[in-house]
Amino acid sequence: MSDERATGKVLGRAMRLAPALKRGLRLTLVMAMLGQAITVVTPVVIQMIIDDEILVSGGIDMSGVLTKAGLALIALTVGVVVARAAVLRLIRSSATGLSDLRTLTFRHLLRRSVLHVEADRRGDLVSRVTSDVTTLQEFMEWGGVGLVIAASQVLLALGVMVFYEWRLAVVALIGVVLYLVLMRWFQRVLARNYDRVRTEVGRSMGVLSESISAIPVVRAYGIEQTTKEKVADALETRFWTEFRTARFGNILFSSAEVFAGALTAAVVVAGILIGTSQGMTAGTLVAFLFLTNLLIEPLQIVVETLDFAQSAASGLRRILGVLDAEPDMVDPADPDHLRAGGLGARFHEVGFSYTTGDEVLCDLTVDIPVGSRMAVVGETGSGKTTFAKLLVRLLDPTRGSVWIGGANATRVPLAELRERVAFVPQEGFLFDDTIATNVRYGRPEASDAEIWTAFHELGLGAWVEGLPQGLDTRVGERGGNLSAGERQLVALVRAWIGSPDLLVLDEATSAVDPALDVALRQAIERLIEGRTSVTIAHRLATAEGSDEVLVFDRGRLVERGHHRDLLARGGHYAALYADWVSGTRAL
Amino acid sequence: MYSKQMTPWSVLRDGSRLIWRFVRRHPTSFWLAVTGAAGFAAAIIASAWVIGWVTDGLIIPVLDQGVDPEGLILPAAGAILAVAIFKAAAIVLRRTSAGWLQFRTRQDVRNDLLTHQLSLRMSWFNRQAVGDLLAVADSDVDQGTGVLAPLPYGTGVTLLLFGSTAMITFIDPWLGLGAVIGLIVVLIVDVRGSWITYALWEEVQAARGEVSAVAHESFDGALTVKSLGREDYVSDRFGVVSDKVRDRLIRVNSTWASYQAVVRVLPQVMIISLLVVGAVRVDAGAVTPGQLVTVTYLLALLAFPVQLIGFVLWDLAGSLAGWRRVQEVFNADEHVAYGEAVSRSGAGPASVLGATVGFSYGGNEKVFDDLNLHLTAGTTLAVVGPTASGKSTLSLLLARLWDPDVGDVHLDGADLRSFSLSELPKEVSYVAQDAFLFDDSVAGNVTLGEPFSDIELRTAARLAGAEGFISELPDGYETQLGERGVTLSGGQRQRIALARALIRKPRLLILDDATSAVDPSVEAEILRSLKSAALPSTIVVVAYRPASIRLADEVVYVDEKRVVAQGRHDDLLRSTPGYARLVQAYEEDAARMSEEAS
Repeated sequence: MSDERATGKVLGRAMRLAPALKRGLRLTLVMAMLGQAITVVTPVVIQMIIDDEILVSGGIDMSGVLTKAGLALIALTVGVVVARAAVLRLIRSSATGLSDLRTLTFRHLLRRSVLHVEADRRGDLVSRVTSDVTTLQEFMEWGGVGLVIAASQVLLALGVMVFYEWRLAVVALIGVVLYLVLMRWFQRVLARNYDRVRTEVGRSMGVLSESISAIPVVRAYGIEQTTKEKVADALETRFWTEFRTARFGNILFSSAEVFAGALTAAVVVAGILIGTSQGMTAGTLVAFLFLTNLLIEPLQIVVETLDFAQSAASGLRRILGVLDAEPDMVDPADPDHLRAGGLGARFHEVGFSYTTGDEVLCDLTVDIPVGSRMAVVGETGSGKTTFAKLLVRLLDPTRGSVWIGGANATRVPLAELRERVAFVPQEGFLFDDTIATNVRYGRPEASDAEIWTAFHELGLGAWVEGLPQGLDTRVGERGGNLSAGERQLVALVRAWIGSPDLLVLDEATSAVDPALDVALRQAIERLIEGRTSVTIAHRLATAEGSDEVLVFDRGRLVERGHHRDLLARGGHYAALYADWVSGTRAL
Repeated sequence: MYSKQMTPWSVLRDGSRLIWRFVRRHPTSFWLAVTGAAGFAAAIIASAWVIGWVTDGLIIPVLDQGVDPEGLILPAAGAILAVAIFKAAAIVLRRTSAGWLQFRTRQDVRNDLLTHQLSLRMSWFNRQAVGDLLAVADSDVDQGTGVLAPLPYGTGVTLLLFGSTAMITFIDPWLGLGAVIGLIVVLIVDVRGSWITYALWEEVQAARGEVSAVAHESFDGALTVKSLGREDYVSDRFGVVSDKVRDRLIRVNSTWASYQAVVRVLPQVMIISLLVVGAVRVDAGAVTPGQLVTVTYLLALLAFPVQLIGFVLWDLAGSLAGWRRVQEVFNADEHVAYGEAVSRSGAGPASVLGATVGFSYGGNEKVFDDLNLHLTAGTTLAVVGPTASGKSTLSLLLARLWDPDVGDVHLDGADLRSFSLSELPKEVSYVAQDAFLFDDSVAGNVTLGEPFSDIELRTAARLAGAEGFISELPDGYETQLGERGVTLSGGQRQRIALARALIRKPRLLILDDATSAVDPSVEAEILRSLKSAALPSTIVVVAYRPASIRLADEVVYVDEKRVVAQGRHDDLLRSTPGYARLVQAYEEDAARMSEEAS
């Protein structure tokens, strides 16, 4: 563990990231200490009642008892009210700060590049914004302020000790320092263990979430047993990691008791050895023993809170891991803008590789003129989808540059780009909400009438009308109440409603029936006049009807031109076409 | 979700049941922890006694009376240390055993949850959000077992409480009565606080579930969110549910803090009041001043245990609220019922009969109404129909991922429902359009942990048209997919999922648009090789591509909630206009385009 990630600094960063955490913290601390101090008054008053009223010979003065009892009650009430106010402030600021931190983390996670979000285990990601934050919360609510109060109590006790008998105070101080050095070492080991715990918790939740998501496959293939074993294994590993860490923390915590014993013994021995010759009286020594006790109790709280803090810091480190990762796409300070009207695009010597491998797209230079209808074809894995994602800037090229509407795509504010460029992926993901709400993801301000119009424009009016609640039909989780083809329809309308100037379709209607597919394409072609469309073709007719066809093979653009010319050339496209023809027309 | 039917009494009753349920399973660790707690209580008393002993036997004689400390120091220091070590050991015993109890219980509950869920019907899953189910397995289980941490401690020190109260009563019945009344008042406040916070905790857990569900859905649809540039909107949506957790947490914690303040004050008030009462009793000569001092110290000793009981009750409320959501999952009883029938795997393809099948998803609009389908063994059937006509539903029914509401599906005369859990997958393999791949190797994703030979693996991969790209992966069949692994294209994923089905040589193979992301040329190749491989399977293919249809022996045209027509492609073209319009759409479009071009 490197020092810059040490617990204190990590917690400090949390405060800077979520200022609500430290807002009014000073006043809260003062109030908490005040409350604590006042409540200490009560035992003193009780002591006074016993010593001065009850244990005195010659009868009890009831009025004295009542006065002091009344005083004690008032002090108690004030102390508790102040302490409670401090706690309420603390609860409010920590809950607010952590909610802010959680939303911030979510925001960052969502901004990570597509491949990251898609490749990571989802359950693990979810745990960053759920259980990791909850770990922090437990600490922020009670631990942090408790730590400060306890630490100041330790200092106070040491101060009183020096005032009382400096030689014994030196003994106590040496003890405390030795103990803290020991704790620092312990703490480092503990921190490593807690990091491991957070990792295992994330991992086990990842495995569990995968198993729950995979239910249809598990059911269809009867692998219930294997699945259970996989989860059980992950949970077993998690158990031992958690248990061992807790056990270590317990030894750490209980060592405070041994330390307390050792310190008490040391004070007694030192007091005796100093002896009467040096002016040590029994009264002083006994009083000092009580002071030692006063020192030890908050010290134990400090140690236990550190245990808490380690756990919190581990959760926080995972959160910071997210927040520290550079956002993949940052808007430049002096952005360029897309030109008005239809948008063309240009790829200049573009290469792209995922972090884990060779280039999936290389040396791509191509021009997509404004208003053209382009089709992209190629075998699976030829780089078509990567091309589409680069075109809509879901990915940035690792080499070369992509230009859209006359501007380098990386220099255009993302919001502007998204507004003008629409992308429809093959899997039309829908949110668990109504059709209307899902379409509004494409244009938030769209009215119901506009949504109706969009459906009608694309010839889907009858379909929506046939749904039980029309636009207000709920689609279920991931759109599960609709068929795959229907989901694609909604996804298409969602992109369409933003009236994009560049529309990129990645096999966006592959699950729609042929008759509807043809009708949709004809509608889009009619409506998109003057604007640009790029279609990753899943069927012949799209390529045939396009202005130009781009043929990809193994990450390279191998042919381009009109359908007729490419066919005449007798190359890759002609071969693909022959395959297609045999697939579609030999009936 | 404020549950008004809960009373303070039922919180106690349900709470004890919950605790019993946990403790029953790990009694040893629980009692060890209680022993540790009792030992700790004993150590507190012992340490006070040792300090007294050291004061009387060493400090006063040496410092006040000038006695030679020789031989006295070592035993005194030894005794102090010994008690401290005993105390430390008791703490380690208590906390470690309590940790074992809590962590083991969480592990048990999570395993049980998964086992239970795996036995439930798809209709149940259809109504759940994955993120919410995850929240149940994650934060609700944590919350539901939260009470186990302070429980042994609470149990141990309760013993201390009983002992001290008995001692006070023994000294003076009136003071004892006062102490008992005081304790009862504190307990009533505790239980009331626990009951109030229980309802609030339920709200917190429900909101935490929402946070998880929204997070899960948003990461799931990240590609869509980004391509639409809606990151801010989705983040704001998350912010709203996150703030809901915030507000509810503030409410529950503030409520608790108020109760906590009362509970902290009460023992002190009790001591002061008893001092006043005691003063009267001393004045009357019923109690000696020394006895009153003892009582006061005993009461001071009680302040902490009383607070601890409050902690246990507080955690109990949180636990009950979390557990309620866990229990809801356990209460789901829509189990899939399996029969005893054994697979006739190896007996060649199966015949399929679907008779008078009626079906709807969870009582919604009917998908099928009186659907009939017959398929002779060994045929390849193409299922064709307009978008949303129920083709996928038909596949799901044939694979028994759902059961029909009315009618039944037979495989060689045996109802699908009559097969046992382990035998059914040997009969039927189902491949969905969206290929789900596990975070495992390519080989692991195909075999799913079953012992298939290398040759079987390669044969299946070749048939699925996956051999080529798998051999180009960095580690071939051992390449890890998923997290930090290789990212595959949609078509590649589908082919691995297809190999997963083929390696099992099922008697009925169902492909629900399972090669939709595969290029037509590759798809045609796959279907050709399937055809020529003479698989021991009856094959049902949901498809639009004429190439797929051409390879089928028979076609069913599904529309209007039933099978409209079944027969050879050529016959259907003539007899069924809807079918002809559908499958010839591309051809006509192409013809129209050629006309326009010329």
